[in-house]
Amino acid sequence: MLSTYAPAIVFVVLGTIIGIAFTVLNGVLGTSRPSPAKLDPYESGMASEIKQGFRFGISFYLVAMLFLLFDIEVLFLYPIAVQLRAFGTFALVETIVFIGLLTVALIYVWRRGALTWK
Amino acid sequence: MTSVLASVKGPEIDWAAFSPLLGLFGGALIVLMVGLSSPRVIRAHGVPALTIAAFGATIGLLIWEWNEQVSLIQDALILDRLTILITLLVCVAGIASTLLAWREQAAREIAHGEFFSLLLIAAGGMVVLAASRNLVTTFVGLELLSLPLYILCASRLRSERSLESGLKYLIVGSVGSATLLYGFAMLYGATGETDYAGILTQVVKEGLMGDALFLAAIGMTIVGLAFKASLAPFHQWTPDVYEGAPTPVTAFMSVATKAAALGVIVRLFFTALLPGVDDWRPAWIAIAVISILVGNVGALGQRSLKRMLAFSSIAQAGYLLVGVVVVTELGAEAVVLYLVVYLLANLAAFAVITVRERETGSDAIGSLRGLGARSPILAGAMTLAMLSLAGIPATAGFIGKFRLIEAAADGGYTWLGIVIVVGSMISLAYYLPVVAAMWRPDTEPGVDPATGRAVLAGGAQEAEAERGGWEATLVAAVMGAAILVFGIVPQPLFELVGDVLKGFGTG
Repeated sequence: MLSTYAPAIVFVVLGTIIGIAFTVLNGVLGTSRPSPAKLDPYESGMASEIKQGFRFGISFYLVAMLFLLFDIEVLFLYPIAVQLRAFGTFALVETIVFIGLLTVALIYVWRRGALTWK
Repeated sequence: MTSVLASVKGPEIDWAAFSPLLGLFGGALIVLMVGLSSPRVIRAHGVPALTIAAFGATIGLLIWEWNEQVSLIQDALILDRLTILITLLVCVAGIASTLLAWREQAAREIAHGEFFSLLLIAAGGMVVLAASRNLVTTFVGLELLSLPLYILCASRLRSERSLESGLKYLIVGSVGSATLLYGFAMLYGATGETDYAGILTQVVKEGLMGDALFLAAIGMTIVGLAFKASLAPFHQWTPDVYEGAPTPVTAFMSVATKAAALGVIVRLFFTALLPGVDDWRPAWIAIAVISILVGNVGALGQRSLKRMLAFSSIAQAGYLLVGVVVVTELGAEAVVLYLVVYLLANLAAFAVITVRERETGSDAIGSLRGLGARSPILAGAMTLAMLSLAGIPATAGFIGKFRLIEAAADGGYTWLGIVIVVGSMISLAYYLPVVAAMWRPDTEPGVDPATGRAVLAGGAQEAEAERGGWEATLVAAVMGAAILVFGIVPQPLFELVGDVLKGFGTG
């Protein structure tokens, strides 16, 4: 019974060991030249300077949201594309209906002016 | 791998039996696209007209499929008498709400195409919910009806109340959905099946009645469904959401959501969970009694008509549950019959509220004062609606309650019938003041009682009538007339809901 979970346990143990090892080794072997930018969370070597009251266009949100929607929906096409021959006509028709519905959504978004940058 | 995939075939679909759903969803697409056209008259009048056409077409397809019992898409859905009746109720509620929303500000604000296509999608979700015979389909249906309603509640973009209503509904509704999903997951864990028929077999075979996991599953399922059907003690969102949402949306929500929720409760508990009846019956009985008490007591002293009707709908949902807990065919018939009379009364009441809200800008009970003298049709419809909700004889509501009590007594739960009667007596204390407010003569002539402002003689009242809209008056008149007719000649109603369990569980 327990042996079923053995790979998972090995995985967890290895993950923990490697994670700790790299953190410790970094501290022991690496040189340390701290600068304010490096000490920031998510520094990536860039000075992160976000002023309070920083504003950017609401269009960013809209476009990002639309991108996510269409992106994720198109994702469904990959598995079908890989096995389309095996799935046969039924899947093809289903896919065409699906793309048709996506097109309707795209036309709607476009005509409502959500794609125009304001 | 490929050889396995080669055997994958699309499920057989009986397109004729599937057509009512296609009518709603296809209608939603068409309405959305037509809503993009530039002439204002098409958007403002063509779109709602098309919406009504879509609902009407669906009703036509239902009548065409009236005597069918077909299992659809590998038993995920079933078209039987219960599905057909619930779909019919949803479509009638949809037509009425569309008429009420015809000149609604909310529809203008979020664009007509969106408003009405969301209405159609929500209706489609309700049909999926009522027809589903699989836990997965049930959940998809539930989300399909909930998500559009969240948006519709918040569709008055410039009203803080409406946005609050939408947000509240979204949060509470999500909690309800999550609970239900957790319950379904446990149900799957306990039985290894998502299919209602499969669950039934497994529960009997494994003797799961009283099993801890099975009990937890039933418990969470009940809580989730009670959230959606706004049953006490899971009702707290109802008054705020009903009050804040645009009135046509409230009308649709109160009637159609309840019908769909009761439909799924009947189907799930009468088929899949039937062997566990002794486990779930006490829970539903408790919820029914609490709902009747909380709803009726909560409605007392409400000044907003929409809040009052929200509490009243909680109580009415409690009455409806009585038909479920007896688990008899008579009980199921009584539930559907009561759904019909509840639909008539609620739509009539909300139609009158819509008109008065447009005329006076308020939904307080005071806004109805003096309505009897000015508009006897509206006042008459509202009177009939209130009396019907209270269950006074010669209205359809009496027939509905009579049937529910009969079912309770027949199923050995006479005391639940008595609870209904006691609840109805309490309810008179808030239904009758509405009637009194309408017919009592105006104390101060020339002053609009709702706003306290002076009313200009003649012209202002004509302008008021213009703003209210004849469609809403038509809805009120038709529903009011139906309450009276079915109250006196109930035979057609009995015939409509007779054999509600016909074809139940085929396939």
